[in-house]
Amino acid sequence: MLKLIHLEWKKYHITKYIRNAGILIFILILFNFAMAFWGIANDPETGIPDIAFDTMGISTNIEFCTNTAFLIFSSAMHAVFIISAYKDKTMELMFSYPIHRKKILVSKMLAVWIFSFIALMTAKLFCYSTIGFGFQFYHYSAFPIDMDLTAPLFYLGLTLKSAAVICISFIALFFGIIMKSSKAAIISSFLLVILMQGNIGSVSFRDNLMMPVILTIVSLIFALICILRAAKNDI
Amino acid sequence: MNYVLETRHLTKIIDGKEIVSNLNMHVKKGEIYGFLGPNGAGKTSTMKMITNLWTPTSGSIQLFGEESLQTSYHLSKRMGSMIEFPVFYKELSGEDNLKLHCEYMGYYSPNCVEEALELLNLTHASKQKVKNYSLGMKQRLGIARAILSKPELLILDEPSNGLDPAGMKQIRDLLKMFCHEYGISILISSHLLTEVETLADTIGILHHGRMQNEIALRDIADHQMIYIKLISPNTTHASYVLTEKLHITNFKIMDNGEIRIYEKSVSLEEISNTLSAQGVCIQELKKKSDTLEDYFLKVTREEQKKEEYVC
Repeated sequence: MLKLIHLEWKKYHITKYIRNAGILIFILILFNFAMAFWGIANDPETGIPDIAFDTMGISTNIEFCTNTAFLIFSSAMHAVFIISAYKDKTMELMFSYPIHRKKILVSKMLAVWIFSFIALMTAKLFCYSTIGFGFQFYHYSAFPIDMDLTAPLFYLGLTLKSAAVICISFIALFFGIIMKSSKAAIISSFLLVILMQGNIGSVSFRDNLMMPVILTIVSLIFALICILRAAKNDI
Repeated sequence: MNYVLETRHLTKIIDGKEIVSNLNMHVKKGEIYGFLGPNGAGKTSTMKMITNLWTPTSGSIQLFGEESLQTSYHLSKRMGSMIEFPVFYKELSGEDNLKLHCEYMGYYSPNCVEEALELLNLTHASKQKVKNYSLGMKQRLGIARAILSKPELLILDEPSNGLDPAGMKQIRDLLKMFCHEYGISILISSHLLTEVETLADTIGILHHGRMQNEIALRDIADHQMIYIKLISPNTTHASYVLTEKLHITNFKIMDNGEIRIYEKSVSLEEISNTLSAQGVCIQELKKKSDTLEDYFLKVTREEQKKEEYVC
């Protein structure tokens, strides 16, 4: 399986994605740093952030930005690694090899998942670290510093949340495969972001702990359906 | 009989339409099998079922004496194929595409990639990205990939597409060489009948998803394919002489006035002398043999007529 994953990265020039993820991480760090210390989110008249200051710590900001960015990023990768492979018929070539179809699809999904997970974890760690580092100098942040970089639970939470977010991109993949469209996958990822961060009346999905759990379970079911469809259906 | 590939009552139905119907085909070890049929006859569909890309609705496929099932992935290792048009990772070079193929096939042989590229005259373009290849180059790279792992059965769907006449001849020679020197069995579909005629040992004619005829090319001669062509301004008189004086009944008058004599026991000289003696003017008299094209058209037209009759 590791060899298959490695071949997927080789075929799609993973260095290109490393570069793009690097740029994205840099922008996210800069954006969060600027919001926390340079006041780019502050109202010019009041001098405080335009957004719900009393309910949002810096971690909410970082989580929202990084999760959104990498959910879309991983959906775009799924579009290239899997949906485009169906469209340009390279999947037909893959299925002519002496390898189980399920294994081929799992390797493609894992190639995207592993890369996106590492990239998201890196993004989060760098964002939190630079904010923590910046606070040593500025001694003030526009958003409350609500993270404890020394607590092991913080890292456990970070890992679980990152894993869940990247899993959710399988829902976007599912819609992309069903509709045979890369655009459908990417648009689905935007809709998922809205679903994860939105409100219905006074109920906020962002604060709802069950929402990511439900979405992760649904995404794993959808991933399984994608694999079973590939194994069974004509290509 | 030692068949490398055998299909038994192979049928594929898509959306209620029978694409391939009750197909029985037999490819012997070490032969080139020409798969003929008009567009939409079901050639590619059959090849997709053989290469396990499609699952048959009913019937079975025997490969190397073993029944091919959806999970018979190990059989793919013994086959090389190029179905419809060759697809590649366009951002990779030709050489990298072939190396990747070796990795997936689990085939490791030193210099095999270089040798395959050289055989197909692609050494000069080996480092070029495939997106910059011409159609003919892609076709040759597709064949290079199909033969790379020295398969026992090579399945090629219209391999001459996009090739110039010199390229086509080169591919024909290569395929003959693979067959004769390496004992590779080849199943090749083509709409170029002259190409198949010079290449194949056996042909299978598919029409509307049904196998019309499966015959060794050398046996076609025995199916009234060799005849004497006679052109005379007085067809009626000529046919009278043939029947009454030469006692030939096995002949046919074509729409253009040409008489085709299928009787094998009578010689050209005998016909010429008799017709001259009876005062029949001869404009043309020569021995001819039907091309594969004639045979193909005859078989498919007969089927067409049968279908029209049933309707």
